[in-house]
Parts: sequence; C-alpha cells; structure tokens
Amino acid sequence: MKVDLAIAGQGAVTPAGVGVDSLFTGTPKPQMTAPLGEPRCEFPVLRVDLKDPAFARWQNEPRLRRVSPMTFFMVEAAAQALAGLSAGERAQTGLIVALSAGCLLYSRRFYEAVIRNGRRAASPALFPETVFNSPGSHVASVLGLNGAVYALCGDESAWMGALKTAAVWLRRGRVKQVIVMGVEEFDPLVLDAYRSARWLRRRGFLTSEGAATLLVRAARPDDPLTITEVHEGPPYRSPAEAHFSAAELFAGVDERVPCHRSARHTWAEVLEREATAGRPEFSAAPPPYLGLAFTASAAWETIRAARTLAVPQGVVPIWGLNHRFGRIGLRRS
Amino acid sequence: MVDDAPARVVVTGVGAVTPLGPTFPESWDALIAGRAADAPVPREIFDTTGCRAERACSATLPELSGLTRKALSRLSRASRLALPAAREALTHAGLLDKKGRCVRADLAISVSTTAGGMAFGENFCRDVIAGKRAHLYSQVERYLPQQQVLDLQQDFGVSGPSVVMANACASGANAVGHAADLIAIGETDCVLAGGFEALCELVFVGFDCLQATTTEKCRPFDLKRSGLMIGEAGAFLVLESRAAAEARGATILAELTGYGHSTDFFHLTQPQPTGSVLVEVMRAALRDAKLEPAQIGYLNAHGTATPVNDGAEALAYQTLFGNALGETRISSTKAAIGHTLGAAGAIEALFAIAALRTGDLPPQLNLQDPIPEMAGALVQVGEKRDGLRHVMSVNLGFGGSNAALVFSA
Repeated sequence: MKVDLAIAGQGAVTPAGVGVDSLFTGTPKPQMTAPLGEPRCEFPVLRVDLKDPAFARWQNEPRLRRVSPMTFFMVEAAAQALAGLSAGERAQTGLIVALSAGCLLYSRRFYEAVIRNGRRAASPALFPETVFNSPGSHVASVLGLNGAVYALCGDESAWMGALKTAAVWLRRGRVKQVIVMGVEEFDPLVLDAYRSARWLRRRGFLTSEGAATLLVRAARPDDPLTITEVHEGPPYRSPAEAHFSAAELFAGVDERVPCHRSARHTWAEVLEREATAGRPEFSAAPPPYLGLAFTASAAWETIRAARTLAVPQGVVPIWGLNHRFGRIGLRRS
Repeated sequence: MVDDAPARVVVTGVGAVTPLGPTFPESWDALIAGRAADAPVPREIFDTTGCRAERACSATLPELSGLTRKALSRLSRASRLALPAAREALTHAGLLDKKGRCVRADLAISVSTTAGGMAFGENFCRDVIAGKRAHLYSQVERYLPQQQVLDLQQDFGVSGPSVVMANACASGANAVGHAADLIAIGETDCVLAGGFEALCELVFVGFDCLQATTTEKCRPFDLKRSGLMIGEAGAFLVLESRAAAEARGATILAELTGYGHSTDFFHLTQPQPTGSVLVEVMRAALRDAKLEPAQIGYLNAHGTATPVNDGAEALAYQTLFGNALGETRISSTKAAIGHTLGAAGAIEALFAIAALRTGDLPPQLNLQDPIPEMAGALVQVGEKRDGLRHVMSVNLGFGGSNAALVFSA
C-alpha cells in the first residue's frame, strides 16, 4: 500500500530506559527469570524498569489504578509522541494499538487462579483488563484522544496493519492525526512458550518488553520524514513458505536503496541475511540489541531506521515470526 | 486529505455458522421463526462447575470436507466456525472455483475476534502449570488470532493483506467498516470481512465473575433483564466496490452506505448512562449514508440484556429517533443466538441485511415487560415490513468501543 504519512512525533519505552534515545544507548543487563512451568531453570529477560521516574506522573491517574504494566508503557510512549499538541489537537487524534499477546500478565493471573483455585476464584477486577483493547481505551482516556481507538492483533506484521489503518483513517478524514503504537509486556508464561518453540536455545536471543509510538498525519511537501509504503508479503506457515516470502520481500525495490536490518537473534535472521545480501545498510554499526518484543520490536526498529536514515530513501523489513513478513518504506527530504 | 469521491461499497456474499444453524439461510429461518438456541454448555467444550451461569448458545460445528483427521485436530474451534462461514460467503459471492480456491488470490481479509483460538491457550496454560511438557508448541503456536486468518488464507489460497480487529464486542462492526473504508479509498475492490468467536472457558468465566451473565433467559430491553448469554459464531460478508461487482455481474445484496465508530471513555465496562457516545456514532454513520434517523426502517441493536447496557442504549435510541422511535423497528438478536462477542457485529449486520432484503424482521424474543421507552419499537414475532430501504446495526464493547453500520437497498 502506498501511503504518505508524515512522522510528526515519536516515543519509546524500552528495557534500556524511557524515551527514544534509549533505543540507542546500549543493551541493558538482563534479569534471570524462571518460566512458569520450570521454576528451577532461569533465562535472561530484558525488563522495563517501572521505577523509572518517568512513570511517576501516571501513578495517580484514577483510570490507571488497576492496569497492567503494558498500559504504563503505552501511556508514557504516547505522551512523548504527543508532546506539543494542544488539547484541541489531541481531541482530533486517533489511537491504533498493535499487539501480539495483549494483556498477558493479567490474563495468565486470571486463568491461573481459575485453574488452581476453581472458577469461583475468578477475579472480576482482573478480567476487564485482559481484553485486548482495554489498554488503548485507558491511554486514549488519560491523554484526551477523542478519535477512534482500534486494537489490532498479530505478530510483528500487526505494526504494519496499524500504520495502514492510520493511513486509511486519514484518507477518509476520520481524524487529523493518529498515534500508532506497538506494545508487549513480559510474563513468565512467555518463557514457557519460547522454550517450547526452542527460541531460548538461540545464541544471544533475549525476551523483552516495552512500547514505541509514532504520531502520524497526512504528509505535506515540506515534511522531513515520511512513510511512503507499507507492504505486506504473502503469509507463510511452513519453512519453505517463509523462505519464499522472504525472497519476495524486496521485489521491486531498487537494490541501491539501503535496508535497516532488524531480525537479529531470531530464526528469521538467516532469511534476512539472504534477502538483503548486497544491499547497503543504514549504518555501519548495528544499534544495541533490545530483545524480542514482537510489535514493540517492530516499532522500535522503525523509529531507529527513521532516526538513522541519512539518504533520501530506506526500507525497514518487518519480520513477523508467526504469520507474515513485510516492509516499510521511508523517505527523508 | 479527504477523498472527494469514495468508491461505493456493496455486499455480494454472506455466510454464517451460528447456534441456530450451520449456514446463514438456516440460521435466518430459525431466527424469524422465533427460535432461541440457549442450552447448557456442552461438557466437551468446558465444564461450568463453580460458575453462576451454566447455559450458553453453542453452535454445532459443520463438517469440513477434504481435511484429514490430523488437519482437523490442528484447527481451533474458532477456525471450525470461521472456515465454513467464510466458504459460504465466498461461494455465495461466486468467488470460489471448482476446487474451492478463491479466484481472487489477492483477496484482502478484515476479521474480528476477542479470543482467537483461546482454547489452545487455555490448554497450554493448564499443561505448563501441571508440569506437562509434551505438545506445548502446537498449542501456543495456534492460539493467536492471526493463525485463524492463516487457516482462511491457506484454505482459500489467498495471500492479500489482512487485519485482525480486537475491539471487544464492537470488533465485528469495525472489521466490516474497515473493509468498507479500504474499498472506499480504492486500496482494494474486494474484501472478505467478518468475525468469529468460539466458546472458551476464560471468557465465559470472566463474564460470569462480573455477574454479567444471566442464570435464566436472555431478555434484551426487558425490565426484568438479568444479564447476557454467551454465544459463538462465525459470520462473513464479501464486500466489493459497486463497479467491480457490476463488472463481473455479481448479485448485489445491499450497499454499505454508512459507518461510524468512536470510543466512550465513561468506564471500561459500562457505557455512558445517557448513551450519548452511541448517539454520536449513529449520527456519524447516518451522515456517511446521507440519511435522517427516521429513514432507518430496522435497527439491529446491541441489546446484551445487561441492566447497564440496555438502559443506556434505550436512551440513545430515544435521543436519536425522538418521536419516530416506534417507526424504526428494533430488536436484539442476542436473545436467540447469545452474545457472540467478536462475531456479533458481523452476524448482526447479516441479520440486518436479510431484513432489508426480505422484509421479515428478527423478533425480540423473551420479552415480558419491555423498557417503557422501547416498548413501541420492539419487533414482534412474525412482523414484516415492506419497502425497507435502509437498516442499521449497532454494537458496543468493553473499552468503550462503539460502532454503527448502515446498509441500504
């Protein structure tokens, strides 16, 4: 899909800190954490520090008193991207949240209580917070975003779906600007899932969490940085289909257009290496590794690419690990 | 950057698996006959011991021909509902070839769900807690909603763009509305849009612990309403640009003329008590359709039968329609098929379209003592309306999601 989205704001919450600069500062020290089902073995996990002073401003928000960590990641990242927008402008702003596992922490707690203690132990305080779109509703409410709120599910490619949906809203005139967000939160159950998929055996792989946000609006000729294309490749289920999809990813893209490599330490890394062979990179040194946090990772990489793009055009591949790959085109003028 | 001339969007195919039947025509006939599908939750789906409520509206899963037993075992219950419903819609639209593959390999998909293949996720969680290590990957791999989309893409041989909406109970209407937006801006000229939801323990227990489920009959818009009945379904529409549909000689079932959506920030699980946000959303959909409220002949209401929802919704209709409220006929089909959550917006849109085409109106079942302001507007069993031109379908959800769709003849 050809789009014309100006990047008007950015925000990030990462294990390395709060703010977009944290995407470049370094890989923080992982915390050793046990999976839910294997208390005796531990794996390194990159966690967001919720004691960071930046989160203090949200602690007393009535609407946020019961929320899980991901909502704090989201509200902080969105607030960064919205800095400078008036209340009137915020009222014409929509919010699209791309997520994979959603409110996993509360979902696991809710269901674990049911399993361990019976259905009468189910918590009415937790259940509403397990719903995919609850965090987005909280964030829009707290930040005064009166445009529509969508929650989109999927692997990393849901980030592309969110950007495309923002473009659709803007072209339909439904909002003036859109906060587009990728977010994931950690729960020990994630380690059980990754372990079953054998991802934890990969050298260097780290489980992670966090959020990132772009504020986008319809581009004007003088905008310095725009998203020009969001392309979803064919879906895959088998390794052969994944190879085919990866090979098709850069079809039609001039081989001189640089690429931001982003599949580090995942099973898609080898596919990325093959698909981007011979293509120039954005920068000589890769940015610090921040682990895998699905849609948040996709959003982090898009912001990193946008910040480091020094030539007129660049491509950010999005390696969806459970459905499809794609690419995002950037233009700097 | 508003497009001056958005493409017109039409419906060319519908399909559904509901608690009332394995196809849309069977479901519709049962609905119009006044049947309701509530029954104790089958034990093979999950056990309700410890819950207040024990009943739900479950669907009988249709046979899926051409699949091995192993392939069937890998499908989530959600996919078992979505696949036949989508296949029916694509067949109805004339978009499947003799081998059952879609003739549009670039077909876009816009779907909604709230829980995806959650039963796999539940099993994964149970096994992890129990210390079982076998078959964990196959469960966790298949529970995420994009895997049901992948099931659809594989079955029909399509690889176009896809999006999974998860805006709680308004998701289905959002998925349909988003599909219409994609066509309106010229991004594509054909989208398979709809929703699916399978009964699962986590969601059932969740609503039960909120005391939002009823322990007797689901009675939308009744003074004695005591809560919702959970249901399950798969429901799909084929949306096309009018130009594309006419060019290939497709039968046009209805035109999607209006879509409105917004978010109500009053409370995470309760609508603004006066229904003001819903009024705003319905007005937006009517503006889109260039219609006045009184031109809506039938409205499929959200009508969950919870005390809070139906009260606010009734006030919203009173505000929007004013003195014309009785002229617009209203019913909530959740009394018959339950609240199908992520599928609700899609299946209820289908019911509204069928009313538009046949003049038969889905009756308001289980009504004893109607909310006074709604009493004159609720559809009676056997009621018909000739010459319907415009219908509306309305949905609300957790998180304050509100959506309205308008279909025209």
